[in-house]
Amino acid sequence: MSSLLEVQGISVTFDGFKAINDLSFEISLPELRAIIGPNGAGKTTFMDIVTGKTRPDEGTVRWGDLGRSLLTKSEAQIAQEGIGRKFQRPTVFEDQTVWDNLRVALKKPRGPVSAIFDRVTETDRTRIADIAAEIGLTDRLSDMASILSHGQKQWLEIGMLLAQDPKLLLVDEPAAGMTSEEREHTTTLLKRLAETHAVVVVEHDMEFVRRLDCRVTVLHEGSVLAEGSLDHVMKDERVIDVYLGR
Amino acid sequence: MTRNRSVPIFIAILAAFALGVTVMSEAYGTGAISVSFTKVLGMTLCLCLAALAMDLVWGYCGILSLGHFAFFGLGGYGIGMWLMTARTEAVVRANLANQVIPPTEAEVSDATALQIFSVVGGEDWPWMWAASDSLFLSLVLIVLVPGLLALVFGWLAFRSRVTGVYLSILTQAMTLALSLYLFQNDTGLRGNNGLSGLQNIPGAEAIGQDRISIWFFWASAAALGLTYIGAAWLVSGKFGNIVRGIRDDEQRVRFLGYKVEAYKLFVFTLTGMICGIAGALYYPQAGIINPDEIAPIASIYLAVWVAIGGRGRLYGAVIGAAVVSLLSTYFTGGRAPDINLGLFAIEWVDWWPVLLGLGFVLVTLFAPKGLGGLVDYFVRKDRT
Repeated sequence: MSSLLEVQGISVTFDGFKAINDLSFEISLPELRAIIGPNGAGKTTFMDIVTGKTRPDEGTVRWGDLGRSLLTKSEAQIAQEGIGRKFQRPTVFEDQTVWDNLRVALKKPRGPVSAIFDRVTETDRTRIADIAAEIGLTDRLSDMASILSHGQKQWLEIGMLLAQDPKLLLVDEPAAGMTSEEREHTTTLLKRLAETHAVVVVEHDMEFVRRLDCRVTVLHEGSVLAEGSLDHVMKDERVIDVYLGR
Repeated sequence: MTRNRSVPIFIAILAAFALGVTVMSEAYGTGAISVSFTKVLGMTLCLCLAALAMDLVWGYCGILSLGHFAFFGLGGYGIGMWLMTARTEAVVRANLANQVIPPTEAEVSDATALQIFSVVGGEDWPWMWAASDSLFLSLVLIVLVPGLLALVFGWLAFRSRVTGVYLSILTQAMTLALSLYLFQNDTGLRGNNGLSGLQNIPGAEAIGQDRISIWFFWASAAALGLTYIGAAWLVSGKFGNIVRGIRDDEQRVRFLGYKVEAYKLFVFTLTGMICGIAGALYYPQAGIINPDEIAPIASIYLAVWVAIGGRGRLYGAVIGAAVVSLLSTYFTGGRAPDINLGLFAIEWVDWWPVLLGLGFVLVTLFAPKGLGGLVDYFVRKDRT
């Protein structure tokens, strides 16, 4: 089993605060992985490093079969390599329709000239229709994203992630603001995606993580505290200390 | 997916306006509109064109450039150099014609240079006038020089991810630096004298200003109409979605795999070029250009027009530029009657900035989407 993403010994310091401390992480294709940890454990910073928003002070981030370093690449290049990200707060283009949001995300050439002369092909239309059906926004396609509910925005952002067709999906708190029915749907969707993709889910909600039924990585103070099945890590003394202690 | 409905309406209004002015012009109609007012209207259309560019770069892409008038000025200097050279050369040739020995080309060239540059104590052609004897080259440079400056400046700024107010300050510095550079006599563009006599079109001496003014008016209207169509097409497609995405959340666009810097640079350079064309049409109607034209305040006015007209709406920018610049001409041109309050008289030349500032505050408070937003409001009301 070759790994898709291999993060080794990364550390990053913000104004003397060590947000990530000698963290190592590996995920293969396909795989579903959940990352849990208390606030400030470094979950978001970890995603920032992988997607190129933050540069680590030390360590390596390698990608793909060839193990090429991602540290020299820009955010856009990393996204083009096939890493998609869903943010904690739903970030969609509020001023544009659901259809336009999906169109912009659709996997196609990313240069300005290609964008100017881009035509919506039959394939694009089908793809957008399929994604809209998947995320339950078929009859909202011509609505502005700003009038969607919080949960629907979450769905739209997941749809944009699908449209990008990345190899690795980094999903930050996908279930926040969703009804239990929607959570169910999210779980099924993520599990199905994980059959062909590498999916990393950051989540606070233990119930949700349990339903994902996958390998769990526990972060604490910027490093990996424990890794394994949810039952395994919940038995770990240090994990119990972090979550229940103090 | 959605076509811009404002295009046919805008073009129809512009065409009707152009026809109306033509019918009332001195050259082709009743003469109700004087030659000088025809020029004012033509110049206003050029300012609308510059505002359209400003709306693309600011209203759509979110880059508050406070330096786009520099590109406008460069376009003006570009056409001005050709106009002055060709016109002066014709005068020099006429003066030398009755000499016994016909003058050589070199003598004509030297005499032309002396005629143009003696005002700043020079007699040689500065390097930047090298293309001034060719209309074709000059027209190419009108687009290329502003485009190149925008490209280099934008590349440096966007690559370092300078955004927001810092970028605005940098663009102000750019236009200030260019203006100060042009003020120097040594620069080769006649310092604070600028280029003058630009209303005299070489080879068209026999044609009166009445006809030339309406021709330039038509050219300005055509440039505005064509650019409007092009801009509407550009922003209605996927490119427009991406650019508006950059305006609203640039980081999000990056994580979708788009090189934000490339898009910004594209828009910045394109709009710089549009401003160059607008300036090249404006100054032959104004007749004179000097470095004061590209002082920082000019670019700020450009932003004010777009803000009053309504950002992110192409017609908003045009409405804003037309309304504010025409009002400005009215109040500062000595047409508006002063208001005498006994002890104290309101002289509009001094009070116009106050009025403009007041208008700006009122628009911000009561019509946050600008005058163009009011159009939307009424159009939408009609439909329901």
